[in-house]
Amino acid sequence: MSAHAQTRPGRAASSGRPGRVKRLLASEHLAGWAFVAPAVILIAVFALIPIGWSLLLSLQANNLIAPPHYVGLANYKTLTKDAAFRSAIGHTLIYTAVFVPVSVVGALGLAVALNRKIRGIRLYRLAVFVPLVTSTVATGIIFLWLLDPTFGLVNYLLSLVGLPQQQFLQDPNEALYCIAAMTIWGWLGFDVIIYLAALQGIPTDLLEAAEIDGASRWATFRSVVVPLLGPATLFLVVWSTINALQLFDEIYVTTRGGPLGSTTVIVYYLYQQAFQFFNAGYGAAIAYVLFLAVLLVTLLQLWIGRRRVYYSS
Amino acid sequence: MKRVVLILLSGALALCGCGGASSSSSTSAGAGNGHTTITVWEGYTSIETKAIEALAAEFNATHPHITVDVQFSGNSDYALQKVLAAIAGGKPPDISYLYGSWAPNIATNPQVVTLNKLIAEDPTFDWNDFWPSERKVATVGGKIVGVPALVDNLALVYNKQLFAKAGLALPTAAWTWSDFENAAIKLTDTAAKQFGWAYVNDASEDTVWRYWAMLWQAGGAILSPDGKHAAFDSPAGVKALTVLQSLAKQHAIYLDNGSDNYLGLFTSGHIGMLWTGPWDLATIAASKVSYGVQTLPGDANHQTISGPDNWVMFDNGAAHRQASWTFLKWLTSPSVDLKWSLMTGDLPIRESVTKLPEYARFTSRYPGIAVWVKNLANATQARPVTTAYPKISTAIGQAVQSVLLGKSTPEQALSQAAQQVNGILAVPE
Amino acid sequence: MRLPFSPWHLFLAPVAAVMLVPFVWMVIISLETEQQARSFPPVLAPSTLHFSNYATAWNSVPFGDFFLNSAMYSLATVAGNLLFCSLAAYAFARIKFFGREVLFVVLLATLMVPFQVILIPTFLIVKKMGLVDNVGGLIMPNLCSAFGIFMLRQFFRTLPIELEEAARIDGTSRLGILFKIVLPLSLPALATLGIIQFMWSWNDFLWPLIIIDSASHAPLQLGLSTLQGAHSTQWNLLMAGTVMSLIPMMAIFLFAQRWFIRSIAFTGIKQ
Repeated sequence: MSAHAQTRPGRAASSGRPGRVKRLLASEHLAGWAFVAPAVILIAVFALIPIGWSLLLSLQANNLIAPPHYVGLANYKTLTKDAAFRSAIGHTLIYTAVFVPVSVVGALGLAVALNRKIRGIRLYRLAVFVPLVTSTVATGIIFLWLLDPTFGLVNYLLSLVGLPQQQFLQDPNEALYCIAAMTIWGWLGFDVIIYLAALQGIPTDLLEAAEIDGASRWATFRSVVVPLLGPATLFLVVWSTINALQLFDEIYVTTRGGPLGSTTVIVYYLYQQAFQFFNAGYGAAIAYVLFLAVLLVTLLQLWIGRRRVYYSS
Repeated sequence: MKRVVLILLSGALALCGCGGASSSSSTSAGAGNGHTTITVWEGYTSIETKAIEALAAEFNATHPHITVDVQFSGNSDYALQKVLAAIAGGKPPDISYLYGSWAPNIATNPQVVTLNKLIAEDPTFDWNDFWPSERKVATVGGKIVGVPALVDNLALVYNKQLFAKAGLALPTAAWTWSDFENAAIKLTDTAAKQFGWAYVNDASEDTVWRYWAMLWQAGGAILSPDGKHAAFDSPAGVKALTVLQSLAKQHAIYLDNGSDNYLGLFTSGHIGMLWTGPWDLATIAASKVSYGVQTLPGDANHQTISGPDNWVMFDNGAAHRQASWTFLKWLTSPSVDLKWSLMTGDLPIRESVTKLPEYARFTSRYPGIAVWVKNLANATQARPVTTAYPKISTAIGQAVQSVLLGKSTPEQALSQAAQQVNGILAVPE
Repeated sequence: MRLPFSPWHLFLAPVAAVMLVPFVWMVIISLETEQQARSFPPVLAPSTLHFSNYATAWNSVPFGDFFLNSAMYSLATVAGNLLFCSLAAYAFARIKFFGREVLFVVLLATLMVPFQVILIPTFLIVKKMGLVDNVGGLIMPNLCSAFGIFMLRQFFRTLPIELEEAARIDGTSRLGILFKIVLPLSLPALATLGIIQFMWSWNDFLWPLIIIDSASHAPLQLGLSTLQGAHSTQWNLLMAGTVMSLIPMMAIFLFAQRWFIRSIAFTGIKQ
């Protein structure tokens, strides 16, 4: 094989001369960094520095009120023996395992249904978008009413069809799943609009070709649309996981970690430690353990994505 | 290309500059020209907001050398986060409204002004005029760290129509626990979705402090006298929790999940009795319910629990301290406090307010409020003033909630909570 | 047998109804008296509709200020994110530069720490810049987020690279490719990022609470929270205010739909 066969077809043979290649390459690095510079500066100042500060905080006994003192890794050592923290981890994992698949798959189905040119499609899309922009407080109030064991609408509907009444958010075994349902409902619109944007990018000639070949709608969907949505799916899985592992707001406005601690997730536990027990250093340590876990999970997902996701280039 | 980026960045920065007035400079010119501006942070809403703004305006008009700038700092937990951020930034407000339960922790801040000297040197202030529960909550380790801002307590509010329908005699000041239980059961009609009583069951302090009232009524105590061991797992504590267990088993209690839906249920006639405070009175009075107010039913006594909050002063220099003290003195003086009570329906924070001639207007404007004022005499004990209290509260909250949900017996729940609390107290403060 | 309408309506209509339950509930509550609004179970069919609640809500708190502050905050963060995230995402998607993968993960990592933990140091930094109690203080920490970079990177990578390569051969600069080829092909993604970022800024509560002191500088959610007390919330006014705050977001969403109906012309490019 000659050296030229290694260059990609269609590319100009400008990479022939070493000096120009070197300069090109050098300018690639410079160009890359120049493009990311504004973002990097902003994120470094307003996110990375605060994250570093809280690493220092995790090494202190600090109630954010009195002058603190350093205690080294004591907070982390205490965490390893903290049974309540372990419970919080368990609850968070269960929640994430329910939330991510259901919301991503559900959103895909809904997005496909919304990717039509039928009358009123804009209003249907708007309807799916509305829960997303409804404030968490309002959503919490509504669900607390819907799921009230005595006066709620859901138990009323269950009684109409003869199903037994449930305690929902007052039942330690059911509460976490109720929260999952509530958050899936609230966040579905988010995943849907991302999928809608991605569906716009699917070349129509591919779909026509499949139809001409006689493929069924389902087969077309499975072997053409879904793979082409890979990048969006990867993004949504990673983002949903990052979000689910940091669940807080919906717990804060409904169950406050109860009943009997069954909905205490990691960030809620962190909040309790920092702002109710005045143990901010310990809270920061929890945040760092969570951060490492999320980072590992994300890296794993990205690695799998690199091998399985198809990009058009 | 870099030029483009630079232009855009500077545009963004310029936007910040024209985005609003210059950064807050409320702690401005000091004693130089004799004028001081102080910031007061509060989480009031609706009626109380109007009241504080009216009073601040009156103060500013009558005190030419001081300007009070009242700012909304969020309500409940959010206010704490904002105050902590301000403390971290080295510039806390001059005065902040803070929950009484936060006092022991807030007091660890070196910038908090200890008021003992200021009070001792001012004979007109009369610290003992404030109710005992307020003074207890504002004092941490002998140091007075706040001026009372609010006082309340739990009393029994009942629906007269439901009592008549059930053929029950109305509650009296001599009611015992068995009278109360009997009424709660008779007022319960599960088919009609009617409950005899309501209890906030979100395992928060709202769940806990009602239980403390019952514990005290049974003659029990929260901690041992030296404050080093739990004392609530006594027979008195078990007895109190057993009442809750028994009523819950008979579905006589509406278990509120923390969203205070009990109030809407009471005003629509679904609940017979509430243990609640003056904050619900306005809503109840405006509803169609014919209501009555009575002191809490008792066992060994009729004690109740009070939840005072404080105005805490932060030290931003001598001029600001002086101005803040002047304002707080004025705000909590009897005549001004009566104005506040008339506007908001909050209980008077000083005993001498009840002796003022205009006081009758207060009790007639808010029918039933006089019972709460009288009930302050029953608020003889206070919750332990220790930085560990939030953790103690969480342990008890779980215990009470588990009994109400039928997941454990009173003995089990209390002994587990006592174990946790003893562990908490074993750690030096 | 053909239905007079598309069968998709049979699926979408019930789903839309379920999604709209809270919004309908909010509107109903906003039209009730204070007593009705406080009732539990909720009063769902009030006898009279009090549209005056909207005027009352508007006048009881400085609504005009809140809207203006929120508008400045949201528009600035949308503009900032669209610009800075596009630049960065393009580099991550198309330019092989030294440390690219590591940098991407580092930026992504900033999404993994809950805000409660970093709100105080962020406050300290903004305070140092002299932007406390200032819309600029609201905007600065939110001008660029790793979320937008990640999302746009994924979208840019789905674009066929041939167009860009052709332009490079023609001598177009990287920046030119970004603005003349990549961005015009990415309008749905940009519209999506714009909607999401707008929504986040418009609905932001905690950061404004920490950084803003005066009511005149407060954005919407912070302003609305003054209607919500620990014990005494005026639900009907609060819901009226909340409905009013939802209208702009819904309008922007509907407006942005124009970039979703038009399909991107890919015909002519063979895979």
